[in-house]
Amino acid sequence: MIEESDWIQQARAGDQNAFGRLVVAYQTPVYNLAYRMLGNAAEAEDAAQEAFLRAYTHLRSYDPNRPFRSWMLSIASHYCIDRLRRRRITWLPLEEEFAEPVNMASQSPNPEKVASQREQEGQIQELLGMLSPTDRAAITLRYWYDCSYEEIAEMLNLTVSAVKSRLHRARRALAESMEGDTSYALQTG
Amino acid sequence: MHCRQASEMMSIRLDGRIDDADSALLDEHLAECEECQAEWQRVQAIDRLLSSAPMVQAPVRVRVQVMTRLERRDKARRALVGGTALTLGTVALAALAITPLLLGLFNVTGIAPALIHGGPKTISHLAGYGGTMGRTYLGVVGDLIIPLAVVGLCGLVSAVVLNGIWIGLMRRLRASR
Repeated sequence: MIEESDWIQQARAGDQNAFGRLVVAYQTPVYNLAYRMLGNAAEAEDAAQEAFLRAYTHLRSYDPNRPFRSWMLSIASHYCIDRLRRRRITWLPLEEEFAEPVNMASQSPNPEKVASQREQEGQIQELLGMLSPTDRAAITLRYWYDCSYEEIAEMLNLTVSAVKSRLHRARRALAESMEGDTSYALQTG
Repeated sequence: MHCRQASEMMSIRLDGRIDDADSALLDEHLAECEECQAEWQRVQAIDRLLSSAPMVQAPVRVRVQVMTRLERRDKARRALVGGTALTLGTVALAALAITPLLLGLFNVTGIAPALIHGGPKTISHLAGYGGTMGRTYLGVVGDLIIPLAVVGLCGLVSAVVLNGIWIGLMRRLRASR
């Protein structure tokens, strides 16, 4: 993508407008990652902003031979993992824990479909919440970004075999927790 | 193939990375192991659920918020540079203002002439002047009371001003985070 490399070069030279274009291009992937990791719309928004600020600060260390998307998602993943680890000692108010994104409910005009989507989203976030921060990041990168083992390994500073075993462990854990919920098993067939 | 290996192969198959030989071995194991067959059904259900989940759209305000925070951070950095320059300038001015007063004090006590003329007698001069200085100080302090009060007041005003600048900078820095 020629435009993107131009924006990166300009942003590295201190052009904030060029960086703004990169933010527009990557805000949804970064926000979705943060939401899947943190399970909370308000925290995801804050984490996405923080990830972009960190990216801007460290833009000079970005290797242009590496896809910008991977670099950006790597920063966001590490930030969310750190935040989840800190969260273990900081309690969140209960209403914030499962707050859903505002835009999620408005995707379909059909109220039944909306309700079903909400329920499914709730189940997904509840399941993801059972995983360790790094396993959650690996599953998110695998399912929402279609990343290969090698890409996930590079983004999370893991070996390829560690990624394989984390994905396997996470799937088993999710499958086991699903087993205890009959209604959920029926819906997902 | 053991159940443990089969479980690992299920995950690798879902990622599309299983080779034909392992795939055949997995199918063979699944055909004869009910527990693994049940696990395979469950991990496939999880796979379908996660694969069907959409990408959550970011609120449009994310870009504006990032840009605002970047601008605030830049302003805070500029303010920090300006504040440092201001502080250094004030310290330099204060030093310039105090120097003549200190030189005056040194001349009165005789330290400056001793240092200027130097030589081997300097140390004995300094020792002598140490005692003289103590005695002279009490006499001189009466003459210097007004200049000292002015210097003290200037120092106090400078400290208050610099403190105000410092608090302002810290607030800006905190706001930009």
